[in-house]
Amino acid sequence: MRHVVGIVLIAAFIFYVLSLVSGLFIGPDPEAVGPVGRQVLEQSTREAGAVNTVTSVVVFYRGFDTLGEVTVLFLSALGIAVFFRAGGESANRAGTSGPAGNTEECGAPGFILRTGARILYPFFFLFGIYIIVHGHLSPGGGFPGGVIIATGFFVAILTGDRFHLPEGLLTVLEGFAGLSFIGLGLAGLFSPAGSFLANILPLGSFGTIFSAGILPLLYAVVGVKVAAELSGAVGRIYLDPEPVEEQ
Amino acid sequence: MVGPVLSPILLILVPLSAAFLIVLLSSVLKQHGPVLAFLALAAEVVMAISIYPAAAAAPIEVVIAGVRAPVGINLIADPLSMLMVLVVVISALLVSLYSFSYIRDEQKSRYSALFLLLVTGAVGMLLTGDIFNLFVFFEILCISSYILVAYHRGGLGLEASIKYLILGSVGSLFILISIGMIYGALGTLNMAHIGANIDLLPEGTRLAAAAFFLVGLGVEAAVFPLNSWLPDAHASAPSSISAVLSGFVIEVALIVMIRVAGSVFQITQVFPVLMVVGVITLLIGEFAANRQPTLKRMLAYSSIGQIGLILFALSVGTPDASSGALLQVINHAAAKSVLFLVAGYYIMRTGSGRIEDYAGLGRKMPVASFLFVLAFLSLIGVPPLLGFFSKFSIITSALSAGTVPSLFMAGLVLVGTVVEVVYFIRVMQVLYSSRQQSVSIESGIPAGALVSILLFSLAFAAGAAILTPLTQAAGSAAAVLF
Amino acid sequence: MNQIFTVTSLMNIAAFGLIIIGLLAIFTQRNIFKLIIGLNLADVGVNIFLVNAGYIDGGTAPIFTDGIRSAQIMTDPVPQALVLTAIVIGFGITALALGLTIRLFEKYHTLDVKEMRGLKW
Repeated sequence: MRHVVGIVLIAAFIFYVLSLVSGLFIGPDPEAVGPVGRQVLEQSTREAGAVNTVTSVVVFYRGFDTLGEVTVLFLSALGIAVFFRAGGESANRAGTSGPAGNTEECGAPGFILRTGARILYPFFFLFGIYIIVHGHLSPGGGFPGGVIIATGFFVAILTGDRFHLPEGLLTVLEGFAGLSFIGLGLAGLFSPAGSFLANILPLGSFGTIFSAGILPLLYAVVGVKVAAELSGAVGRIYLDPEPVEEQ
Repeated sequence: MVGPVLSPILLILVPLSAAFLIVLLSSVLKQHGPVLAFLALAAEVVMAISIYPAAAAAPIEVVIAGVRAPVGINLIADPLSMLMVLVVVISALLVSLYSFSYIRDEQKSRYSALFLLLVTGAVGMLLTGDIFNLFVFFEILCISSYILVAYHRGGLGLEASIKYLILGSVGSLFILISIGMIYGALGTLNMAHIGANIDLLPEGTRLAAAAFFLVGLGVEAAVFPLNSWLPDAHASAPSSISAVLSGFVIEVALIVMIRVAGSVFQITQVFPVLMVVGVITLLIGEFAANRQPTLKRMLAYSSIGQIGLILFALSVGTPDASSGALLQVINHAAAKSVLFLVAGYYIMRTGSGRIEDYAGLGRKMPVASFLFVLAFLSLIGVPPLLGFFSKFSIITSALSAGTVPSLFMAGLVLVGTVVEVVYFIRVMQVLYSSRQQSVSIESGIPAGALVSILLFSLAFAAGAAILTPLTQAAGSAAAVLF
Repeated sequence: MNQIFTVTSLMNIAAFGLIIIGLLAIFTQRNIFKLIIGLNLADVGVNIFLVNAGYIDGGTAPIFTDGIRSAQIMTDPVPQALVLTAIVIGFGITALALGLTIRLFEKYHTLDVKEMRGLKW
């Protein structure tokens, strides 16, 4: 059975390479930007007002996808909370420094790691916030920025200091950020434009921090949500209570 | 025509914001998350009912971000999507009523949030008019199902969940590959726009992209041979979740799959293949169901059989057969939910999943067992119940299609029905046997859960009384499909 | 005969290679951890394939900076946005799968799907 699957898959690959040579799967004009992409490139400075066109697409043209995307992250954080029973009995153990086996395998974190982490910790936040607020001006934005902020949490976990996961705060942030995204969108629905996620703020002057209408706000909300969910998901796995034997 | 207040986008936003709200307020709400979820779903049902007439008259297009399709994302509420949305939200409301008494652990607020997100995913998949947005909602639906299958964190649930997760993710990857091929060739993601330009694609690309998409959705729709995850997942999930997964999740995936095949890729030439696949799925499901010793696995395999029947009916390709298929979707959503919900209490009260341990339960839990029998009869297709009319119209329209293969396959569908009768009798013999139950049953089913089961039963028991409007709704929905 | 040595074709071949390796791992391995690695490999392959759908030879990043004001030579921004979404969704699934794996290991003390009790794989 395994060999069959292997042979079929490798045959599919060879077929694909051959088809590229013979042009079987080539559609009309593969080397040009398609109609939608062309239109986005031409209109985005006027409609979305962001320097970074990718941000215009992520937050404005396909903002609804982004809402779905943060929902997926929310779901996986929620799923991990369900599997690891965070907020339930684990709350009383949250002050301990992770699974016991961990330090034995890797050795206790050294002086340099601990000191370095303490110094670097605020810079992670600062850099993350910088990336988030410049999302509409340069590569970056809510997703990378949120991940950078969450990295600060991970470094704190690595040092093995008595790490306390602000469980309550994270949950509030997760829910609040999601609701703000929907709220900003609904404001568009009830504005004269009359459609969800419509741009209700003035576009400002092109290329400055305060431009592009609601895009930076939405991206900030996404950043908060990503940061809270990533730290929550990893923190909950790490601060897992004793394995629970059931049934 | 409809004011902004009743924009169909609210059908997606209400459960989504309720889920966020439950998590945000988890320290205030404590154990009352399910109440909020119930209220949100009730609002959802009211909205869906009030939007339906307008959508049935003329499809409603919702523009998002003020950018018209194909550049922006749009939602389309037409008779088909709104009919399915109604099935989804009404089932979800009734199941959440059942869950009040059935889910009683300390995490039930999280359960409600997950449940709401599952509904969000299903409704979003039905309403969206953008192929990538479809993928995003598909993921929301899938991921919430993965989590809910393992909700009790028993060994079997975790195992079924990871199996489901891996197969489902491979399916999602296939959908993404298909989206990449379409975008690379046509440069657009809007379904109507793709459908209008599909002729620009060379035949090879079109078939390959369609195949990747159908296989991807086929995993979630449990079409043979992509359904090995289903019996495990549906059998190990909490019964309320099994009811939802069997009742509407796989049907939503199937309807969307046929819709994409018909109106986006326009590959009606492969429908005969899908017809054969449907009949194989039907037969495999029913024969496997007959061999199961545990009730929930039997019901799960029976769902595979029903999916096969619906796929068969949809791929006959005539409006009559499709409207029969949609009636069958309604019938199956109601009947299979009743079966799983009653099975949940059978399992809870006897502490066993095996059919042989349910001896005499028919007398101990008379009302629930009566409804259980009724639901089974409706699935088989016994005359006064809705199931008879749906199966009858499927078979007659397959016969009137007139080709020899469709005659032959209609015969095979009847064989499947005979197998259903066989295992139905097997279950009945146990339920109403005079053998004494070893465990004593102290209580029946709590009132709330019983009300939910009763309301579900009303759909297929009284379905015949409102058959004309139902058929009309199904007919106008089927007209969208072709 | 098409030109195969273009950036697009070569990237597509690399992408499909990754997808095939990932699928091979998923269908032939028994260790859950390796299944998840396979899933991620295939995911990366799909992402390369997606972002490649909007690539044009010699195109610049779709960002309007001082030097670049013309949209004519920019690559298509839409697939890049799609990939961002796809990556995040892939991350969500991976995190969930790893969480499930930890729980499964605690239950069965093995990661081999053949040695787990209940189900046929």
